[in-house]
Amino acid sequence: MLACLCTVLWHLPAVPALNRTGDPGPGPSIQKTYDLTRYLEHQLRSLAGTYLNYLGPPFNEPDFNPPRLGAETLPRATVDLEVWRSLNDRLRLTQNYEAYSHLLCYLRGLNRQAATAELRRSLAHFCTSLQGLLGSIAGVMAALGYPLPQPLPGTEPTWTPGPAHSDFLQKMDDFWLLKELQTWLWRSAKDFNRLKKKMQPPAAAVTLHLEAHGF
Amino acid sequence: MRSMVDDARIPKPGFWSNWSSWEEADAQNMLGHDPLFVFPKDKLVEEGSNVTICYVSRIHQDNISCYLEGVQIYGEQLDRSVSAFELKNVSFIREKGTNVFCKVDQGGVLGGIVLFVSKVLEEPKDFSCETQDLKTLTCTWDPGSDTGLTKQPSQSYTLFESFSGKKTLCKHRNWCDWQVAQDSQETFNFTLLAENYLRKRSVSILFNLTQRVHPMTPYNLLPKNVGATKATMTWKVHSIGNNSTLLCQLELLAEGKVIQQSNVSIKVNGEYLLSELEPDTEYVARVRCAYTNHFWKWSELISQKFNTAEAAPSEAPDVWRNLKLVSGHPTVSLFWKPLSKVHANGKILFYNVIVENLDKPSRFEVLSIPAPASSTELTLDQCSYQIHVTAHNSVGPSPASVIVVSGDPGNEEVEKGRVNGTEDGFSVSWKPQSGDATGYVVEWCDGPQDLPCVLQWKNLGPNTTSTVIRSGAFRPGVRYNFRIYGISTRRMAHLLEKKAGYLEELAPSDNPQVVMSKLTSRSFTLSWKDYSTESQPGFIQGYHVYLKPKAGEQCHPAFEKTVLPEDSVCCKYTIDNPEQKTFVVENLQPESVYEFIVTPYTSVGEGPLDAFTKVTTLDEYSHTLIHIILPMIFCILIVMIICYLKSQWLKEKCYPDSPNPYKSSVLSLIKSKENPHLTIMYVNDCVPDAIEVINKPEGSKIQFLGTRKSPTETEFTKPAYLYLLPTEKNYSGPGPCICFENFTYNQAASDFASCGHFPVTPQAPRHQLGPLTSPENLLKALEQNYMNSLGEIPAGEANLNYVSQLASPTSGDKDSLPTNPPEPALCSEYKMQTAIPLGLASAPPSENSSLSSTTLLGQGEHCR
Repeated sequence: MLACLCTVLWHLPAVPALNRTGDPGPGPSIQKTYDLTRYLEHQLRSLAGTYLNYLGPPFNEPDFNPPRLGAETLPRATVDLEVWRSLNDRLRLTQNYEAYSHLLCYLRGLNRQAATAELRRSLAHFCTSLQGLLGSIAGVMAALGYPLPQPLPGTEPTWTPGPAHSDFLQKMDDFWLLKELQTWLWRSAKDFNRLKKKMQPPAAAVTLHLEAHGF
Repeated sequence: MRSMVDDARIPKPGFWSNWSSWEEADAQNMLGHDPLFVFPKDKLVEEGSNVTICYVSRIHQDNISCYLEGVQIYGEQLDRSVSAFELKNVSFIREKGTNVFCKVDQGGVLGGIVLFVSKVLEEPKDFSCETQDLKTLTCTWDPGSDTGLTKQPSQSYTLFESFSGKKTLCKHRNWCDWQVAQDSQETFNFTLLAENYLRKRSVSILFNLTQRVHPMTPYNLLPKNVGATKATMTWKVHSIGNNSTLLCQLELLAEGKVIQQSNVSIKVNGEYLLSELEPDTEYVARVRCAYTNHFWKWSELISQKFNTAEAAPSEAPDVWRNLKLVSGHPTVSLFWKPLSKVHANGKILFYNVIVENLDKPSRFEVLSIPAPASSTELTLDQCSYQIHVTAHNSVGPSPASVIVVSGDPGNEEVEKGRVNGTEDGFSVSWKPQSGDATGYVVEWCDGPQDLPCVLQWKNLGPNTTSTVIRSGAFRPGVRYNFRIYGISTRRMAHLLEKKAGYLEELAPSDNPQVVMSKLTSRSFTLSWKDYSTESQPGFIQGYHVYLKPKAGEQCHPAFEKTVLPEDSVCCKYTIDNPEQKTFVVENLQPESVYEFIVTPYTSVGEGPLDAFTKVTTLDEYSHTLIHIILPMIFCILIVMIICYLKSQWLKEKCYPDSPNPYKSSVLSLIKSKENPHLTIMYVNDCVPDAIEVINKPEGSKIQFLGTRKSPTETEFTKPAYLYLLPTEKNYSGPGPCICFENFTYNQAASDFASCGHFPVTPQAPRHQLGPLTSPENLLKALEQNYMNSLGEIPAGEANLNYVSQLASPTSGDKDSLPTNPPEPALCSEYKMQTAIPLGLASAPPSENSSLSSTTLLGQGEHCR
């Protein structure tokens, strides 16, 4: 028995799960990404209030829930719970990355048409933060060894205030853009929280590894 | 539809064309498949317009509501699927447009439009053009409201010149540059056109270029050769064209105010000499220029600060003095006021004080006192001194201020008066000094009397006899004393008058400390001599004495009945002389409580009536009683002294130490009764036939003495009877212990411890032992005892216990101790004896009986 224990101790430095002196792994970057989504949630709450007031009633009314008429191109954040649970890490991260890429593009269009300087400043600040989130997601994907999604030719998001698109529908699009952005940030927080927990090796895993190596 | 040409180049008014023919359109078919349409889509209108909104629905439902900015609007239903809403006088809400939308209630169907309401384009105001260099014209205007919306950009401005036919689109909302062509165009006719999607507005001006020259700001404004009173300013201007002249205006400012203004015509370089400047003063010079050929506008100002140089102080310091005696020596305190900035001409570094003895002209003393000191003290003698004071800055000294002082303070007893204070200050006036006064000085202290004096003074001319003394330090309720001096031609000051006054008199805040004295049954005296009228907040005009009478009592006629603030009735007496500080309150009731207060009053009011003092008048007869009691006490004292002096005689008379029946008064009593059976037994005639000798052991005796036990409780040996003649030897010298005892006496009586001899009376009944305090009782007791002893007591019983004591070597007076007293504890013990029946004597004495015996002893000592 003593000999067994000595053998286990002798092999301990060789156990990969306990060797924490090297690369910390994707854990810290996931945590940072999670923190950034929470920060953007907070920032968007203030920005959305200002922007919806800028659009005027009924868009700034709390119970306004218009039909999604012209906002079909916006990436939808809402997804069936079972579907969401069944997503693997790569798909989960890919969806996040693609969604924010689109949302950032639309948001920049929003910034261009904003009339007041103060609003433009707030939108520009938020776009910068969102760009940071996008980079952060890309970092996590790289750390996990996942390739970044390549946009298909012709599907690149563009913001063009088409002449057929009435100003009222444009306001509806703006409303939905902010709403989707809010939902995406909420979903991302859950995504990254889940990913964070998943990437933290539980203590029991060490035991399993020991068993696997020692015996 | 109809049309009209609207162009600035085409003269107004334009004409409308004819209306076109009507065209029909099938709205239902033209629309798509959406269930709800709202029109007009994204309409742009001006503020104040009336707009009709309509919706077309495919749903054919009645539950469609329309809203303007979230507020429901109601319109006219044109048919089942079309409704119209008229919006009148719409106003600008936001750049993003006004939202109008309709929705099917609970159907999730929604349609809307954005109505863009633009502000009305205003005509540009204050449109003008000018040039700085005759090469470029800059036109400016006030654009008014911005009409920009997300649907419409802000209005644009176009500058059009009609003579040259050129136009330029302005990049800015409120100004535009126009390049003057080289062909020397002098006259310009500009039209400024403002336009947006809805409207155009224009404004025109016609001007000559040379009449719109606004020169550029001069530069390089610098002071040169700056002295104490002069400085030269130089500057440069930008040239305008060839050989153009500019008119420049140079202003000199001191403390923010323009004090000099000069106009200089220059081409490029400007120079101007500023004179009449004050030394050591900061100035600001500023320059602006205008085109000389035709004044249009001054250029912007350029400013430059500079300081002039210092100069010697221009005025002598204002000096005053205060004479006093310090340790018997005349001491003069010199004060001077700092020179004003105008007169100091620089920073004062020190003051020179030159003291010249006028009686000894060759002697003088120089003191240098560094600034900012403003006083010094000199100790003088009785000579006269001339004092010169000069202020020095870095350049030189000021003129000297000369004052003459003498060791003699002069006449201090001068006329005193009062001065009235007003809001402006104190208006002080005085009688002009006859003769050669060269001026006057009014001197005062700024602070209250109890604070250190901050000496102030004011110099006045020789023809002045009044002045107003102002000071920010003056406070109401503070007495200020003013002294007016006349200055002689010898520059010596003489006190002329003294004045005192208040800026504003106040009512006294405190009452004097009143001392009450000479209290009788009907009067008392009040005194407040320590009260100082000088340090009060107003001139004390007198005092009010308030007296609260006892209930129902009327005020004395000299008093005035008054009601106090707390509604109590009081008697008031007014003393109108402030120096009268005593008052006698008279005509009071004896043995009555009065309350009084003394309060001073000024012209404003009296002191606080808060602390009345209570006083109770004396009993009317106590005075008489004192007159009776005192003589009586005196008489008693005389009698006591006499008694003391005659005490020996009295003693011999009343209670001699050795009771001698022949001397006793009892004898006379007995004789008076003339009873033949009564006689006096002379001890010398008695021959003692037996002496009872008790052989008492020492131990038992000590025990007896120590424990104070009753003699009956002590065992003793049976007495022995000796036939013995009494001799002196039996009492002297230590010998065997012999004790004459009568056990009817207790230990207290035996504590005398000396073998005294007392007369033994026959049996005294126990009930007669106590009350012998009075002479009568004593006589009765004695009489009865003797009667009993001689008549009633059987002879055998009387003789058996009688022991003669006449041979005692000591006297009964304990104050006169024997020279050789027997050793009481060691030798013998004597117990006082009295003739008590044996039966009674043998009985054990109780506590009470012991006490009675002690009392008896006392009585016996004093009354025998």
